[in-house]
Amino acid sequence: MNQILLITDGCSNVGISPVVAAAQAYAEGITVNVVGVVDQGDLGEFGSAEIEEIARAGGGLSRLAHTKQLSQTVQMLTRKTVAQTIQHAVQRELKQVFGSSSIESLPPDKRGEVVRVIDELGETSKLRVALLIDASASMKPKLQAVEEAIRDLVLSLQARQGSSEIAVFHFPGTAYGEDCMLDLDWTSNVNGMTSLFPRLQMRGTTPTGPALMGVIDFYRKADYGSRKNDGTDGMMSDYVV
Amino acid sequence: MTTSFEWSLPRGTVVKGKWKQGSYRVERLLGEGANGKVFLVERNRGWYALKIGADAVDLQSEVNVLQSIAKQQRGSRTEAFLVDVDDLRGMDGKDYPFYVMRYIRGATLSEYLARHGMDWFPVVGYSLLGKLGELHEAGWIFGDLKVENVMVADYGRVDLVDYGGVTAAGKGVRQFTEIYDRGYWNAGTRIAEPGYDLFSFAVLCIQLHDSRRLANLIGAMLPQMRTPDELLRLAGTIPALKPLGGWLRKALYGEFSSSREAAAAWQQWMHRPGTKRSSAPTPGWLKGLFVGSAALLATTIYWLLQNGL
Repeated sequence: MNQILLITDGCSNVGISPVVAAAQAYAEGITVNVVGVVDQGDLGEFGSAEIEEIARAGGGLSRLAHTKQLSQTVQMLTRKTVAQTIQHAVQRELKQVFGSSSIESLPPDKRGEVVRVIDELGETSKLRVALLIDASASMKPKLQAVEEAIRDLVLSLQARQGSSEIAVFHFPGTAYGEDCMLDLDWTSNVNGMTSLFPRLQMRGTTPTGPALMGVIDFYRKADYGSRKNDGTDGMMSDYVV
Repeated sequence: MTTSFEWSLPRGTVVKGKWKQGSYRVERLLGEGANGKVFLVERNRGWYALKIGADAVDLQSEVNVLQSIAKQQRGSRTEAFLVDVDDLRGMDGKDYPFYVMRYIRGATLSEYLARHGMDWFPVVGYSLLGKLGELHEAGWIFGDLKVENVMVADYGRVDLVDYGGVTAAGKGVRQFTEIYDRGYWNAGTRIAEPGYDLFSFAVLCIQLHDSRRLANLIGAMLPQMRTPDELLRLAGTIPALKPLGGWLRKALYGEFSSSREAAAAWQQWMHRPGTKRSSAPTPGWLKGLFVGSAALLATTIYWLLQNGL
């Protein structure tokens, strides 16, 4: 399962629309979740509409959160999306087995077994989460909370039985036209790391769309390199005989 | 975290199951968990707790846990915990899953101790360790242990409520509350194991004795500064917890190998002579107060006599 978690506090203002980029991610099997950080209520109506639409296009969820609830929100979104991805896959199988595609339409005594499989897969399947952090100037006072939320997420992911990895990006990248910059390559451990954003330079623009495209490209390369395909179909084939 | 389940069931509403037609009359809201709301309901003059939510998978996942526990306990004398599982067709045409459990009478842990006094703390704590031990020995970890999830009935008898966090040993804890969470205090993983619950238990002890200072401590601290040592230091300044220092240290550092061992150590502390110091010597201020009021009484009598009453 592949996820992108975008943490931002404003509207995109440069390059390709983030909604289009999120739709592209979803088409490539990556779910996009978005957290809007609202400390001084600076996201605005347009901003909150945008994060909602990015998540919808990316097949994921969006939430507004105060920095104080950031850790909880990040965990909740990650967990819910894992469950949802698996449910989608399971629902396809349900149609074949029970002739109906939703868990809700099954009688309660038949639901138990299906949910047991969902829980099991959620706990054991391989998960990768790429965190994409808005590092435009207004985010500066919130980065401490973002870093804490990431460390907290890693702690929860480490408790899963399946392998879990995160990567961290921030955007905008450098002045030389890079849309996002990799801060931390795929890893399952951040212990001993003093700072997750060592090379951070705050800039004014918010190229959310191009940055998302950058992360999708990163996923593509990683997949090409390792030739591992953990698509939901492969995942299910172990369980459904 | 807010759930998408925002509406409530007013008193008198009849909840009727879509599949099995069982019907329950709503009395009042009992509480709210991460996955739904719990109501006190009545059926055939019996009281039950009914949990209703919006997500069939989340709720069924809890039901699965309850059913496995019930299966393991079959044969023991405990009353059936899970009574019914069904769906309610809501006013909006959507189905809302619910399940019905045995209703646990009692007050929350902090209410109980406030009403009956801290003398009950050791007994209630021991009883709670016993409950956790039963779960652990069956292969489960409670996960979201906190003051709100412990109900106490007469004579300090304890029951756990809200099984949303219950996790099979060895998996990632499904639900937790930050200040009770071992990971939050940089004291270990979030893998479900007896030590995870015992850590929460230790925080719960501090929370019960001085919730205000615990909150202040968290507010003033950077995340990397949160350590079990800080919790121990705070516990050391609470007189009632001082004799329990050794026990708390072991719980916070994961040094108990099982909840049984933790309960045995707790028992030793309870029966050690001098534990009940709180009621033995009269504190100095009380003696002073007594002398003061005696003097006041003497003056009053003297004054009354002088005025020839």
